[in-house]
Amino acid sequence: MLARYVLRRLVGMVIVVFLVLTIAFVIVRLAPGDPAALMLGPEATAADAAALRARLGLDRPIPIQYLTFIGNALTGDLGTSIFFNQPVTRVLADRAEPTVFLALFSLLFALLIATPIGIYAAYRRGSFLDQSAISIAMLAASVPSFWTGLMVQRYLATELGWFPASGYGGPDADFLERMAHLMLPSLVLGVVNSALILRFTRASMLDVLGEDYVRTARSKGMGELRVVLRHALKNAAIPIITVVGLTFALLVSGAVVTERVFNIPGMGNLVVNAVLRRDYPVIQGTLIVVATLYVVINLVIDLLYLVVDKRVKY
Amino acid sequence: MSIFKRALGAALLASTMLAAPALADTKLEVAIIGEPQSLDPMLSTQDVVSIVTQHFIETLYTFDSKWNIQPLLAEALPEIADGGRTYRIKLRSGITFHDGSTMDSADVVDSLKRWTELATRGKGVAANIESISAPDASTVEIKLKEPYAPLLSLLAFSNSAAAIYPQEVLGEELKAIVGTGPYKLVEHVADQYILTRKFDGYLSRSEPSDGNAGARQQLVDEIRFVPVPDANTRVEGLVSGQFDYADGLPAESYSRVAESDKAEPVLLKDFGWPVWAVNHKAGLLTDRNIRKALLAALPMDDMMFAAFGDDNFFSADGAMYPEGWPWRSEEGLDQYNQNDPAKAAEYLKAANYDGTPLRILTSRQYEFHFKMAEVAKVALEAAGFKVEMNVVDWATLGQQRNDPALWDVYITHSPFLPEPALTDLYAPTSRLGWAEAEKDAVLTAFTAETDQAKRQELFGQLQKWLLDDVGFIKIGNFNALQGQRKGLAGVEPSPWPAFWNASVK
Repeated sequence: MLARYVLRRLVGMVIVVFLVLTIAFVIVRLAPGDPAALMLGPEATAADAAALRARLGLDRPIPIQYLTFIGNALTGDLGTSIFFNQPVTRVLADRAEPTVFLALFSLLFALLIATPIGIYAAYRRGSFLDQSAISIAMLAASVPSFWTGLMVQRYLATELGWFPASGYGGPDADFLERMAHLMLPSLVLGVVNSALILRFTRASMLDVLGEDYVRTARSKGMGELRVVLRHALKNAAIPIITVVGLTFALLVSGAVVTERVFNIPGMGNLVVNAVLRRDYPVIQGTLIVVATLYVVINLVIDLLYLVVDKRVKY
Repeated sequence: MSIFKRALGAALLASTMLAAPALADTKLEVAIIGEPQSLDPMLSTQDVVSIVTQHFIETLYTFDSKWNIQPLLAEALPEIADGGRTYRIKLRSGITFHDGSTMDSADVVDSLKRWTELATRGKGVAANIESISAPDASTVEIKLKEPYAPLLSLLAFSNSAAAIYPQEVLGEELKAIVGTGPYKLVEHVADQYILTRKFDGYLSRSEPSDGNAGARQQLVDEIRFVPVPDANTRVEGLVSGQFDYADGLPAESYSRVAESDKAEPVLLKDFGWPVWAVNHKAGLLTDRNIRKALLAALPMDDMMFAAFGDDNFFSADGAMYPEGWPWRSEEGLDQYNQNDPAKAAEYLKAANYDGTPLRILTSRQYEFHFKMAEVAKVALEAAGFKVEMNVVDWATLGQQRNDPALWDVYITHSPFLPEPALTDLYAPTSRLGWAEAEKDAVLTAFTAETDQAKRQELFGQLQKWLLDDVGFIKIGNFNALQGQRKGLAGVEPSPWPAFWNASVK
């Protein structure tokens, strides 16, 4: 049964990715603006731009461009970046490291902040800590990440010098130094994204803590810590896993603003630049990768349900 | 947790390392405004391309700090004969490319030919070039059909540059980025850095350094250019001591940089000029009276103030060149900054203006474009214009302005270029299509004339035509802000700052 379920989901995934592919192709071409004119700069003549468009294959009929694009995408070739003159897959792969680690660290920070507070807030429902945790979470979620980013950059990096202000370390940075450059942006994203996880954890725990079996566990004389962490948390885990998974996907695709503020050469920065440069293949490629990531993560989440909750059957 | 502690430790270590320059290997980190479109300056007119590539790719001539033309790869200024039709250029000997080969006239001839085929500015003169040839291994001869005075400026300019490459790398796209410059390209990681290193085989000129001319001393071992698209991030990086130099800082960051103990502001007086490009090919402004109404109505000082916010960052000046430039002229300036709605209304009446909206195409990529348009809109409406603002992103503007049916005015800006003929706005062939027989005759005389005093006189006449006929509208002069590390010496303020004479104390 499970195999059939996974197969069905995989077919669904292919359809979703195909749709995204098509929509991505259409949308980038609906936007006005000409990559050739942008590349050549303000002094270029219309004839120059036309010549470059021909060289880039942008003068061919849109349906032909589309078919070529789909055909190539099927073989794993997402085209060549107009701006970088490199395969899109290569361009994306170069940006994967900062983006993936930024997402991982951010998620880790978010979890470290959100789960203990969420659990405790539910456990001491209505207490001062509960109330203030919710208010702070709302505040953190409401403040735009660029503002938080600017503030921590100014005070923790520039003024106090605890962190590098921006960038990814440069030519001689080893892995550790590159990761060090991700700490401050991860902190910002962790704080911003912790709010949702916190609220879900709290809500889910509240539901579970009122259940009969929790009362039973307590009446058996089990320790509070064991009741909360072993019995309650495990049963409250499904909504939490869902929101954590989606947050991760969001972080990989949506760290645009933070990457820009901290000048992290990741996918968020790439896609913004690609839009400004009208680098069609890169925009399409990023959308496809992000869409694929979303559906894969969704599948992984659903499969994880099986692990945490034996009652779930597919 | 331990990985965080280690990473935090590494972060602390990294920041202290950045603060104290290593003794053995000096390096500069320069924050530029974005990833250059190309590392071939022949193919781009972007300033950021010029800033970076001038360190590894050179031209026959260059400019000194007073914008006089000086030899770089050429031995001296050319012998001009045949009434300005023949340029005989003697090359320096012993110049080595970064690939180890020696520069000779064949490299130069092929590079210049490529320039006339591929570079925007080169193509502009191509039709006037009879031949480019090499009489011997160290001489190049350019023959023109008609005398064309701006030629040397074009050969000296780092923007759409007549760059000299070894024959072996030439092609529609360069096979490798190889030049003769004081620094050579080591590594380019797109959107992260461009790493250049001192070229040991560099043969510097012996004259004292002056602007881009004279000796290029290669004082630091390594120069890194780091694209930082966000202006605020450039400011923070500079103030925190991460960058030694940062281009394109926002005016409002001036005091923050000035108060910093690590950095200081570099104010570039009269960096550039915002321009309202006028559509002479189609639409409302093909009518001279409506153009005159537009110019009469515009409150230039208010527009500049709204755009730049601080008197230190602009001046309301209608002349095409600021005080102190050889091209400065006062001709026609009574037409500038009239701010006279009544007079504008008279012109509109004379034109039987029917209320067709004036379409202003602008973008917020450069916020000052948009702000000055907003102020102008109010003034124009007071004079009786109907105004339609079309605010798009820069890419869209770049495309739409090529279609004369879509706009009456589009807003852009330009730095002050060393030679007026480097902008095509005056020419009837530009996308503005400003054609006027008498003006065109002045323009032709100006580009053909080789005597500098006569050229200046002719440029004055051209400026008068510009303001009387409203060819395009120059709004004023604006300054630019860059910043540098305290103790950094040897970088002259320029729209295209160069770092071969830079040193850090």
